[in-house]
Amino acid sequence: MKLNYLFPNKYKKIGWFIFIPSAIIGLTTLIFEFEPNSLDFNIPAIFINKLFRGKHFIGIVNNNILNEILGVLVILSSLLVAFSKEELEDEYISKIRLESLVWAVYLNYAILLISFLFIFDLSFLWVMIFNMFTILVFFMIRFNSQISKLKKSTRYEE
Amino acid sequence: MKNSLKVERAKKNITQADLAKLAKVSRQTINAMELGKYVPSTVLSLRLAQIFEVELSQIFTLEESDWS
Repeated sequence: MKLNYLFPNKYKKIGWFIFIPSAIIGLTTLIFEFEPNSLDFNIPAIFINKLFRGKHFIGIVNNNILNEILGVLVILSSLLVAFSKEELEDEYISKIRLESLVWAVYLNYAILLISFLFIFDLSFLWVMIFNMFTILVFFMIRFNSQISKLKKSTRYEE
Repeated sequence: MKNSLKVERAKKNITQADLAKLAKVSRQTINAMELGKYVPSTVLSLRLAQIFEVELSQIFTLEESDWS
């Protein structure tokens, strides 16, 4: 009953604090393809598929790590925002949390299915990039809006 | 499922917020239960019965629709 896989409440604020700037910077660098040379490194890779050179496992590639840094920050911070306890995480909140998660998964896969069917080749890479984050973002939006709607609708009764 | 939380609360003359504190849940949860939007767990139901010092069945009653 006590085990619910959630972080303590204080991590929600920390999560937002990291999420908002890294999401904005991440989106900007992604759109403008900003890759500073100082962040070019040779790093180990598990799988490599180079144009005209076939596929192979394990090797070293030269890569700009800015997008990796931002991606990791966005994913970890959105996990904190999404899965930190509310101030009073009671059973009703848990129910809303579960329903929001189901809703987010449905929405995410609906969009993914449509994109999968109607976006092709290299353009699909954009879908995959956004899809790394959308499921958590959809959940965050849904859950937080449900909670704030609930708080607003609770009339004070004497 | 019907419940008489509001009535019991009135008898004891406590607010939703007071009851929330006693039952260790949020005020939203109390409100949702009173409006019939949320059916509490067994543990929370028993807690409520203990707070009001009544039998569980005095607060919660099954309805026809609970069997369908």
